[in-house]
Amino acid sequence: MTQNSFTRSNDRSLRPVALSVALTLAAGLTTFSAHAQESPADGVHADRVDWGILMDMSGPTASSQSVWVRGFQDYAAKVNEDGGINGRELNLLVEDNRFDAATDKIAFEKLVGQTPVIAISGMGSSVSQVALADTIKNGKVPVIGTYTPTKALSEPVSPMVYNGFCGYRQQAEAGVGYMVEKLGLENPKVMTVAIETAGGQEYAQFVADAVAKYNGTASSTTMKVTAADVTPQVQQIMSEEPDFITIYGIENTAILTMKTLAQYGLETPAFGITYLGTPSVYAALGAEAGANYNFISCFTPGGADDAEGNAELVAYAAEAGNADLSGNINYVAGWVAGQLAAQALEMAGENPTRESLVAALEGGFTVDSKGLAAPIVFTPEDHTGPQVLKMFSYDYDNSAFTADGDYADYEKYTKPAE
Amino acid sequence: MFAQVLFSGLALGSIYGLVALGFAVVFKATDVFNFAQGMFAVCGAYFAVTAISALDLPFGLAILFMIAACATLGVLAHIFLIQPLAGRSMLAIIMVTIALSIVLRAGIEIFYGPQGRVLTTPLPSGVIRIGDLRISQLHLIAALTSWACMAIFGAFFRFTSVGLLMRATADGHEAALVSGVNVNAMNRLAWAIGAVLAGIGGLFLGQLQIVSPELEAIGLLALPAVVIGGMQSIPGAIIGGLLVGLIAQFAGSYISPKSTDIVIYGLLLLILMVRPWGLLGQRELGRV
Repeated sequence: MTQNSFTRSNDRSLRPVALSVALTLAAGLTTFSAHAQESPADGVHADRVDWGILMDMSGPTASSQSVWVRGFQDYAAKVNEDGGINGRELNLLVEDNRFDAATDKIAFEKLVGQTPVIAISGMGSSVSQVALADTIKNGKVPVIGTYTPTKALSEPVSPMVYNGFCGYRQQAEAGVGYMVEKLGLENPKVMTVAIETAGGQEYAQFVADAVAKYNGTASSTTMKVTAADVTPQVQQIMSEEPDFITIYGIENTAILTMKTLAQYGLETPAFGITYLGTPSVYAALGAEAGANYNFISCFTPGGADDAEGNAELVAYAAEAGNADLSGNINYVAGWVAGQLAAQALEMAGENPTRESLVAALEGGFTVDSKGLAAPIVFTPEDHTGPQVLKMFSYDYDNSAFTADGDYADYEKYTKPAE
Repeated sequence: MFAQVLFSGLALGSIYGLVALGFAVVFKATDVFNFAQGMFAVCGAYFAVTAISALDLPFGLAILFMIAACATLGVLAHIFLIQPLAGRSMLAIIMVTIALSIVLRAGIEIFYGPQGRVLTTPLPSGVIRIGDLRISQLHLIAALTSWACMAIFGAFFRFTSVGLLMRATADGHEAALVSGVNVNAMNRLAWAIGAVLAGIGGLFLGQLQIVSPELEAIGLLALPAVVIGGMQSIPGAIIGGLLVGLIAQFAGSYISPKSTDIVIYGLLLLILMVRPWGLLGQRELGRV
C-alpha cells in the first residue's frame, strides 16, 4: 500500500517527466521511421533509388554500348512516368568506361562506395569483367543485367550476378546449328572472325565446340577492335574457304569483314553475334553484301513482330525521339535489361537495400519482356538469362528485320544433351 | 595467294604512301612531326561524308569540297597552333599536334556520333578476275589515284615556281627569308598540301572500309612509313608507304594478323638503329 501510495505519489511527481520522455521517444521514433526507409549507403533515398550503369559511352565500342544505355534509360523513364517502383524513381548513374579496364575499375569502385548504388548493370567490357569477376562475386553490390556474358563472371553461378544478354555459348550453338542445317552441311568448315578480347576468345572456343558436334572443323582469325583494314583476315578466309563464317566484335568488325569479302567477290555466308544486328550494319553493307549476312539474337528488333512488348518499345522510342533506334538490337537489349532491373527492384520490397535485393532474387524469378525477348528465367542454379535465340536477316525492300522461325524452333540447338 | 597478297599490299601501300607523303611535306617544310596526320585523314573521310550524304553534292563537287575543307583545316592548324610556337622546342610542338589529334577525334565523336558512317560513292566496286587472282576495282582505283596524286605533287614541287619556293624554304628558312620568300605562306601551303593528301587517303580508306575515327590507325602507319623511307625524303615517304603496305599484308597473311605491328615496328626500330636517316633520306652531318 505504502509502496502503492509511494508509487502513486512518485507517479504523480514524475508525470511531466514521463510525458516529456514519451513525447521525445515518439518524436524520435517518427524520425527513425522516416529514416528507416532510406539507405543512402546503398543508393536508396526517400524519393529515388540510384542504380549504376557501367558502359563504354566513348571509344571504339560506344556505337553499340551507348545505344544499349539509351534503351535502358528510356525504359527507366517510362517506369518513372508510370509512378516509379514502390513509390521511388529509378535513377540511373551512368559511368563511362571508355573501353579501358583501369577506368572501369575506378568507376566500379565509385559506384560501390562514393556515389553508392543499389546494383549495377552493363559491365560492357569483357576484359574488365574478367578482371573484376572475383571482386563482384565477393562484394555486396549485385550486377544485374550484364551486357557481356563472360564465363569468368557467369560461372560458377553467383547470387551477385544475373546476365542480361544472350549467352556466348548459346549464340554459338544456335548460330552454328542453324547454318549447318540451312546449308545442308555434313562436316562443316567454320571460321570465327573475332576481335582480340577475352569475349572473342571465349566465343571462338564455343564455336569450335559447337562445330565439333557436327564433326566439323573450326578455325579462327582475329583483329584489333580498332582495325581499319582486314585484308589479311579476308585473305585467310579466301585461303581456307570455310562453308560459313561467324563474326564477333563491334559493328565495324562486321562491316569491315563483309565489305572486304564483297570487294574480293566472295559470297561466304556469315552470321554475326547479337550485338552486330543493327540497321547501321546492314545500311553500311548494302543489299548485295547484306544478303549474305545474318545475325543470331535472343532479342527481337523493334518492329520485327507484333508482340505487346515490341509495340510498347517502338511507341515509347518514338515518343522519346529515339524512333531511329528502336530497330537497333542494342537498344532493345538495353530496354530488356531495364525490365530486368525494374522487376528485380520491385521484388526487393518497399525498403530495398543491397542485401534485401540479393536475398529477393536468390530464389529465382522470370522476367516478363512481353514477348520482346526469348524467355528469361533465372533459377538458383542458372543465371544465364536468355537462352534461346533465332536468326534474323534484313529485308532491304521493306527496311525491316525478319526472323527465320520462332524462338521455340531453335530450342533444339541450345538444349543441354540429356 | 602470293600474287593476291602482293596486289593488296601494293594497293593499300599506295594509300599509306599518300598519307605519308603529306606527312613528309609538312616535316620537310616546317620541321614539325605531325601526329595529327592520321586525324587529318579521318577528317577528309568525314568531310566527304558530309558533302555526299548531308549536303547531297554530286561526287565531283563533293571531292572539291573535301579538298577545300582539308586545305582550310591544314592552314588553320598552322596559323593558330604551329606558327605561334615558332622557335619553341620540338617537344612542345609535338605535344600540340597530339592535342590537336585528340581534339579532332573528340569533336568528330560529338558532332557525328560514335557510329561509323558509310561513304557511298559512284566508284566501281566490282572484282576483276585473272585466273585465281581477284583484283578489287576499288583497290585498283585507290592505288591509281594515289599514284596520280603523288605524280601531280611531284611535278608541282619540281616544275612550278611555287614548288621551287617551297623546296627552297624547306632547305633553309633563313636563306628563303633573306631572298624575300614569304616563309609563313609557304609553310601554310605545306600544311594545306599535307592535310589534303591525308584527306584523299582518308576518302579512299573510308570508301574501302567504313568512316570512323578508327581510321586514324592508318595515320600511325604513316609514321613508320616516313621513318623507314626517310623523314626528309618525298620519294622515301612513298617507298616507305608501299613497304609498310606490303609488310602488313604479307605478315598478316603468312604469319598472323597479330604479327603486322611487330614486323612493321620491328623494321622501324632496325632502321632507326642501323640507318636513322631512312632508306632514301640524307645523312645529316654536323660540325663537332
